[in-house]
Amino acid sequence: MIEQEDLLAELRERVGGCVNCGFCESVCPTLPASDFRPIIGARGRVDVAKYLLEQVDQQGMSDIGISEAFYSCLDCYACVQVCPAGVNAGKVSEIGRRIVASKGTTASNQERPVARMIVEATKKFGNPLGVRRQCASWAEGLRFDEDSDTLLYTGNMYQLMAYNVSLTHLMSSLGERTSNFIAKLASNHTSIMHMTRFFVDKQLENQMSTYLRSIYTLLKSNDVQFNYLRENEPYPGTLIYDFGYLADFVEYGTRVVDLFKETGIKKIIVIDPHTYDLLKNKYPKYFHGFDFEVAYYLDCLKEEQFELMEDEVTLHEPCYFALREDTYGELSRLLEKVVRVEYPARSGKRAMCCGGPDEALFGDLSQRISEHRFSQLEATGRKRIITACPICYANLSRYGRVEDISGVLASHSKKQ
Amino acid sequence: MTFIEDLRGISRNHVLTKKEELIPFISDASHFKGRIPEAAVLPESSSEVSRVMKLCNQYKTPVTIRGGGSSLTGSSVPVDGGLVISMARMNRILETRVSDGYVTAEPGVSIDDLNSHLARFGFFYPPDPASSMAATVGGTISTNAGGLRAAMYGSTKDWVLGLEVVLPTGEVIETGGRTLKRTKGYDLTALMIGSEGTLGVITRAILKIWPLPETTGRVTAYYKSIRAAGDAISELKSKGVLLYIAEFMDRLSLDSIRKTKGLEYPQDAECLLIVDVASTRESVDRQLESIGQVLKSFDPVKLVITRNSDEMKQIYEARKGLYSASLSLRDKPEDYVIIADIIVPPSSLPETLTEAQRAVEESGLKVSIFGHIGDGNIHANILVDTHNEEQLKKANDFQMKLGKIALSHGGSVSAEHGIGLEKKQLFQEELRERNSEISIDVMRKIKAAFDPNRILNGGKIFD
Repeated sequence: MIEQEDLLAELRERVGGCVNCGFCESVCPTLPASDFRPIIGARGRVDVAKYLLEQVDQQGMSDIGISEAFYSCLDCYACVQVCPAGVNAGKVSEIGRRIVASKGTTASNQERPVARMIVEATKKFGNPLGVRRQCASWAEGLRFDEDSDTLLYTGNMYQLMAYNVSLTHLMSSLGERTSNFIAKLASNHTSIMHMTRFFVDKQLENQMSTYLRSIYTLLKSNDVQFNYLRENEPYPGTLIYDFGYLADFVEYGTRVVDLFKETGIKKIIVIDPHTYDLLKNKYPKYFHGFDFEVAYYLDCLKEEQFELMEDEVTLHEPCYFALREDTYGELSRLLEKVVRVEYPARSGKRAMCCGGPDEALFGDLSQRISEHRFSQLEATGRKRIITACPICYANLSRYGRVEDISGVLASHSKKQ
Repeated sequence: MTFIEDLRGISRNHVLTKKEELIPFISDASHFKGRIPEAAVLPESSSEVSRVMKLCNQYKTPVTIRGGGSSLTGSSVPVDGGLVISMARMNRILETRVSDGYVTAEPGVSIDDLNSHLARFGFFYPPDPASSMAATVGGTISTNAGGLRAAMYGSTKDWVLGLEVVLPTGEVIETGGRTLKRTKGYDLTALMIGSEGTLGVITRAILKIWPLPETTGRVTAYYKSIRAAGDAISELKSKGVLLYIAEFMDRLSLDSIRKTKGLEYPQDAECLLIVDVASTRESVDRQLESIGQVLKSFDPVKLVITRNSDEMKQIYEARKGLYSASLSLRDKPEDYVIIADIIVPPSSLPETLTEAQRAVEESGLKVSIFGHIGDGNIHANILVDTHNEEQLKKANDFQMKLGKIALSHGGSVSAEHGIGLEKKQLFQEELRERNSEISIDVMRKIKAAFDPNRILNGGKIFD
C-alpha cells in the first residue's frame, strides 16, 4: 500500500513544475462558482499543496485545512489543458484527498463524513446507497444472453441518479452540520442506508430506465450478444477511488474483479464515461489479472445504421471524454452522423464540466456550476441539449430539457 | 471592534481569514513571495472598496490589490502582509458603445473575456499580453501591459479613456472620460496607468476599442543571425511599413517551440522573424509583397508568405506561448523563468541584439531571446533555480547588463511588465543614466498626496 512518503513524493513531483501563472484559474469551473475563493480554484489547490509540502519539510506536519480545497475539485482536467507547465491540479487534488483519507501529514482529522459514509455503504452493499436491487429494475422483462462471454456493465450509474438528486436536495435542506451527523451515524450503522430507497425521483428513474433500454436495444439491433448481472451487478467503486480511500478501493475492487472472473466473461461493455475511465485506466493498474477487454457501448455500434436528419442540437461533451487522454474520443463524430451539432462557447479541449462530481459533498457549489454550464449550452440557441453521461444529464436537466445520446441514436437508427 | 470585525461589517460573506484561504495570495507569477496577509476581501462594488479603504486608512493597515495574479515582477505580492483586496468579483462588462468606440468594464474582467465579448460586435481591445487568459483589465492598466500588437497599436496607456478610482483614503474619483479628446488639468488617468496599485484602486475603466481588421497576412523569415532580423526590421520601419505584429525568436526559443508544439525550423537558422500586416484584402496583398522583398534582401534561409489563417494562428499561438514553451528547457521542474523586458528605439535593434546575444553568452545561464521586435521590445527568458543564490545573482547581473545595453541605446529597462519588486534597482539605474534621480522624490511626493499613510502596495516601484 502507498505510504505517506510516497504520496508526498508524488505530490512534490506534480506541483514542482508550477510557475503560478494563473492560466488554470481562467478555466476552473469551481472558482467562479465559489465566488472566487482561491482555494476553490485550480491554482489555489496547487498553492495549498506547495505550502503543505513546505510545512512537512520544515516541521514534519501541516497545520492547514486542505480537505475543502482538494475535495471540491471536479477532476475535470480543464486546468491541464491550458497549463504551460503541464501541471494537473486534478491529479494534485487526487493525491491531496488520499492524504486526507489516510489521516497522515495533517495535524487534524479532515475526513469528510459523507465520503466515509459512501465508502462504508459501498463496501457493505456493493452500492453506495444500498439500492442494488432497485438498480436492476430497468431490465425487468428483458432477455439477456446468459452464455455470452460479454457483459453489459451499467455500474449502477444511470440508476443511481434518481436517488442522488433527491438525497442532495435533502442534505442541502438539512444543512452541513446535520448531514454530517447523519453521515457519521450511517457510517457506523450502515443499515440506516436502507432508508435511501424511499428518496427516489420517480420521473428521473423512469427516464433513466428508458435510456438504459435504448442502450439495450441499440446493442441488440447491432447483433451484440451480452449478459447482464441484474441485482448481482456491483457498483464499480468509483467514489471510493475518487474520495481517496485507496486501501478500501483495492479491497472492494478485488471483490468486483473476482465476480467478473467467476462469471467467465472476457469483454465488458460499459455505458458511462466514469465507469469507462475506471475500468479502462484504473482497474488494470490496481488489480493484477484484470485482463478483460473494456469497450464503450457506442464503439459496438455500426455507424452505417444511422441516418442523418435535419435536427439541430447542442452537444455537452462529458469532461471524462473531452478532457482526458486514453478515453473514448468519437462522441462528436458519431453524433454528427445523425444530427447537426452546435457546440457551446466552451467545447473540445475547453469543454466545461457539469459540476456533477461535486454533488455529494458540495451540493450548492455543484448546482451553481450546472446552472452556469446550462446557460452556456442554451446560449447556442438550439433547443435540444445532448449529453452522454448520466451525471451530466442529472445535473443539467435541473435547468431545462436535456437528452442522453442513447435516445437520439435509437431514434435515428434504421434498424428500429 | 477589531479590524477584521469591522471588515466583516462591510463585506460579511467575502472576507477570508483562514490560513489556507490566504496562502494563494502570497505569490503571483513572479518568483517573489510575500507574507501571509491578515485577511483578504473580495468586494463587488466601488462603494464597498471605498468603505474598505477608509477602514484600512483608519487602522493604517497595509493593502495590496490583486487582479489576475499574473504579474511577472511581483506587483501583487503582499510584502507587508495586511489586507489583500482581490478584484475577482468585480468582473462585469458594464457598457459597450461601438459607435462611440469604447467599452466600460470592471477591473476583474480578463482580457480574453473582454475580447470574446467585443468580437461579437466586430471590435477588439488591442493590448494583448501573452497572459491575456489570466490578465485582467485592472492589472494590465496597473502595469501598462503591452503585447504582440503593440507594434501597431501601442500599449495599454494608449487605450484607456477614463477610470473610476478609489483613493487610499476612501474617496472615489473619476478621471478622464468617454471621449477621445479632453482637457482636465493634470492627467490623472495617465498617472494611474503603470502605477502598479500604489496610488489607488481602479474600480472601473473606460477603454477605447477598435474594429477588427478585415484581414491579416504574414511573412516569416528565418535568418542565420539575429542581427539580420534586426537589420530587416529597421529597414521596414524606415520605409514606413505599418506592422501589425513583428516578433522574433532566437534558436533556443525555436528549440523550445519544436519541443512543445512540434514546429520545425531550418537547420542552419539562428533566428525567426514574423511580420504580420492587417488591412483590407487588396492592401494586405500589396504590403506582403513589398515586405517580402525587403526581408529577402537580408538573405534569409527560408521565407514564407501566407494568408492562411490556420497556419498563422498556429505560429501566433506558439509565439504567445513562448514563455510556457521555455519551461520545457528547465533542467529541473523547480527552476523558474525570469523574464527580462527591455526596449530600444527600433533603429538601434541591430546593435542591441548583437550586444544582448554577447551578454547571454557571457552570463553562464540558459537564456533565450525573443520579443516584440516591431516596437523594439526585447525579452529574455532566464532559467534560474531561485533557491540557488549564485544563480540568482547571475540572473540579476545579467538583467542589469541587459538594462544598461538598453539605456546605452536610448531605451528603457522595463517595457511592459512594470517595475514591481524585481526591477527597482534597474529603474534607479535608468533614472541615474538620465540624470533624473530626483524623479523618485517627485514620485514619493505624488504618492504621499494620494496615500498619506502609505498603506497602498508598499515596497513596489521604489522604497
